[in-house]
Amino acid sequence: MSSRKYTLSRRTFLRGVLGGTAISLGLPPLEAFFNANGTAYAVDGAFPKRFGLFFWGNGMLPDRWVPAATGPDWEATEQLAPLANLRSEITLLTGMEVKTGNPVPHGSGPPGLLTGDGPVDRNGSFGESTFPGPTIDQIMAGEIGGDTRFRSLEIGVEQGTTGLSHNGPDSINPAETNPTALFERLFGADFRAPGEEPIIDPKLSLRRSVLDAVMEDSNRLNQRLGASDRIRLEQHFSAVRDLELRIARLEEDPPNLAACIRPDAPPTELPDINGRPPMRERSRLMTDLVTMAMACDMTRVLSFWFTRPVSNVLFPTANAGHHQLTHDEPGDQPQVNQIVISIMEDLAYFLESLRSIPEGDATLLDNSIILATSDVSYARTHQINEYPLLLAGSGCGTLRKGFHYRSTTQENTSLLSFSLLRAMDVRVSEFGTGPGHVTQGLSAIEP
Amino acid sequence: MLASIGCGDSSTDEPSATPSNNPSSNGVADTGVSTTPDTSEPDTGTTVAEYPASYTPGPTAMRRLTGPQFENSVRDILGDGIVIPELAEPDLPIGGLLSVGASVSTLGARGVESLESAAYAVAEQAMDTPERRTTLVSCTPADTVDSGCAEQFVAEFGRMAWRRALTNEERAQVVSIADQAAEQLNDFYDGLEFAVAALLQSPNFLFRIELGTLDPNTDTRTFTDLELASRLSFFLWNTTPDAELLNAAEAGELSTDEGLRAQAERLLASPRARLAMRNFFSEYLQLYELEHLFKDPMLFEHYNSELGADAREETLSLMEHIVFDTESDYRDVMTTRETFLNPRLAALYGVPAPTREGFGLARLPASEGRAGLLGHASLLSIHSHPVASSATLRGVAVRTILLCQDIPGAPVGVDTSIPEPSGDTLTLRDRVAEHLTNPDCAGCHLLTDPIGLGLENFDGIGRWRDTDNGATIDASGELDREEFNDPVELGRVIRNHRDFAPCLVKTMTRYAIGRIESEDEEDVLDVLAERFEVKHAFRVQPLLLEIVTSPMFRAGGALN
Repeated sequence: MSSRKYTLSRRTFLRGVLGGTAISLGLPPLEAFFNANGTAYAVDGAFPKRFGLFFWGNGMLPDRWVPAATGPDWEATEQLAPLANLRSEITLLTGMEVKTGNPVPHGSGPPGLLTGDGPVDRNGSFGESTFPGPTIDQIMAGEIGGDTRFRSLEIGVEQGTTGLSHNGPDSINPAETNPTALFERLFGADFRAPGEEPIIDPKLSLRRSVLDAVMEDSNRLNQRLGASDRIRLEQHFSAVRDLELRIARLEEDPPNLAACIRPDAPPTELPDINGRPPMRERSRLMTDLVTMAMACDMTRVLSFWFTRPVSNVLFPTANAGHHQLTHDEPGDQPQVNQIVISIMEDLAYFLESLRSIPEGDATLLDNSIILATSDVSYARTHQINEYPLLLAGSGCGTLRKGFHYRSTTQENTSLLSFSLLRAMDVRVSEFGTGPGHVTQGLSAIEP
Repeated sequence: MLASIGCGDSSTDEPSATPSNNPSSNGVADTGVSTTPDTSEPDTGTTVAEYPASYTPGPTAMRRLTGPQFENSVRDILGDGIVIPELAEPDLPIGGLLSVGASVSTLGARGVESLESAAYAVAEQAMDTPERRTTLVSCTPADTVDSGCAEQFVAEFGRMAWRRALTNEERAQVVSIADQAAEQLNDFYDGLEFAVAALLQSPNFLFRIELGTLDPNTDTRTFTDLELASRLSFFLWNTTPDAELLNAAEAGELSTDEGLRAQAERLLASPRARLAMRNFFSEYLQLYELEHLFKDPMLFEHYNSELGADAREETLSLMEHIVFDTESDYRDVMTTRETFLNPRLAALYGVPAPTREGFGLARLPASEGRAGLLGHASLLSIHSHPVASSATLRGVAVRTILLCQDIPGAPVGVDTSIPEPSGDTLTLRDRVAEHLTNPDCAGCHLLTDPIGLGLENFDGIGRWRDTDNGATIDASGELDREEFNDPVELGRVIRNHRDFAPCLVKTMTRYAIGRIESEDEEDVLDVLAERFEVKHAFRVQPLLLEIVTSPMFRAGGALN
């Protein structure tokens, strides 16, 4: 079926908000997104659920983060002000705690929250640690990633880092931080918009034969190795099999989602601004691309790694690196405060971007569950209680949204991860180990 | 054994590290490196230390190719001039070394995807000109589909790619892909492209498999000749074994020390060994941190975006120079007045540039407070903040990197802020006073900060300064009971520290075998360290030969 094709550039209408503070799009849905009945296209009438992790390093300042009121009428505090227009989409969770211990400053919160266990601490002098198991995004990708062109997508903004998404110990899915490279990967030669012919290329089946051979090599080798090496080889094997399935998918019709169009290529150069890295500019370019990737159903699992734990990025408003400021800025740390606000502005841009994609009577944001979080709360003392947890979207109604829930009993963050897994159709009956172990979710957000 | 320093009450817990009274250390004159390039062994008349008769080796793990190893190997088996895309899979350090991290890493979904596209990209280039085809394919196909010629190619090329001959089954599988592709694409060489792509995506290329032959009595695995060939080549050339090395391995020559030494010496004589040593020092000194160096250009007038690359080149050039050109006492890296500068670095250091462009050998005047590795912009800027120097980071770097000592991380809940400069607390020394007097902090900070404070004349990018916020910098201090008054003296103290040279031995061995040593193996390292000092006067090339002929290189323990 062909649809009228408008060469829209989302950046055309979003350009006006670059550099702005509070973002309010409030645009009417554009005509091109609708079919003759006036409702947007869908795949068999149902839109898929998506999950996204938005992560930034070095936490927030609890006294300017936690709103006084709970329930649906909470008012945005200073650090959450950029998200004020998204309050009805957001579920803010405060007062919760990572219970799995804090042996590695900045490196304990993320594995605790996302794997339910503490970090593998190498106890060496170089502060090296890794995650004990797969992060929840990869557990979800294991469940739902087989239906899309990419099992999951990992992107980042801060340069020179690795990533948040883990397949297991020492196995990170690296975040792409170059918008041009991301564009090539998503919308380059292998991209087909809805209505376009699938790729017909004799090399596709040959590529699959090659991957079959690689898997046989792996099976032969596996028998000769020790236990730990077998696990490593099996991870490689899974990745190869996954790639083979994705190549097969290129021979199918592209998902029929009306909002999916090929976007403009981003600029190839992103120069520093007054000697500072162009964090906002890069973040927004990456946001535009992954929003469209999700609108095209290229993936249903996203990890957005804005900055890493211990990030020492020089933000435009600061006179020292972020991490250094969290320790050295005295008093109530106005520069740290301003950095958090700035990052929340970029989070708001991301959420608005998802909200701007209509899907049926709802939006891409409605059909997603986004968890925005960090590695600590108060970074100066590396705290992992009062943990920053901001949910947006309801995953097609599988989670309650639009209120501030404050845990008065320092509930375990594993409860949230359990709920998120269940919401994304991963049928777990437990999550985490030791103090991170739970057998149920967070009732406050479950319908 | 190397000193492991813990935190505790500093008044009673004196670290026991003292400079060694070894016979060949002769104190260092300010004129720098003692240059006596001499390949003969000094006869000190002392007995050479022997390896322990038996010990429990650490586990043997398969080792993934690092990014540089991947690139070098592909280039060496396919030919120069091939553009090789980067693998999207991070190399992760363990103990600071990417080569050790390679023994725990694998390839994830993103990495596999990027390997597939890289494999086809290079395979296509490899078969795209008649010259390349005749170089790689030793037969001429009789037809579009020629299984015989395809098999010959797969056998020859496969052996180079997988660092061993393929089995019949493996060969047949790849040949059938080549035949299938040649038929569908109607071109013999297109078929070979798919053979190349299959061989390069295989775990047999991507991972170095070291299984050895098991001796059940000792639970020790002695590596086969072919496994040793890979070990030798990746250690000394950072790339896949060449044909001559594979031939020697297949002929059983590497089983004897003489045969292994002969190949090692051949490898060391090649320019590739210099690049490989650069790679080692890049990992050892964690120079990969320079790739994403960020300094505030408003605060540092002399900062420019080339600083990271320039600083890396300076340090690696000096290391290469000491190992291969002067072939001199490694410890002199801490005190030498020689270094390698380009005009930008020379301007940063405030000295005349040795050449009008590019890098050249420079001799820093004795009047300069800068000598040796501690005066390099590389270490000074890595172990600093984007906006300032850091006594703690630099002190930690000296202890952990140069002396292989353990410094625990900061406790999680403490407030680590230091006051801003004001009144009469102007210099960093004044401002970190709390670190050194507060009992919660002093146990560790007394081990690190005095060292870093000795480097305060170098700002956050390594430029010299006499004052900080107007106050004169006092660079005096003490390291394990040896005093120093300035960075040059600090360099001398480190040079003579009993842990300094053994730290190189330990790190280099870990790098060579791709893992951390077991407890028993620390005794083997002690022997190597003693030979480095007593038999070889701290020269690095003989150390390399000792390492490759040592039991830790030839054998490993239980499978990982």
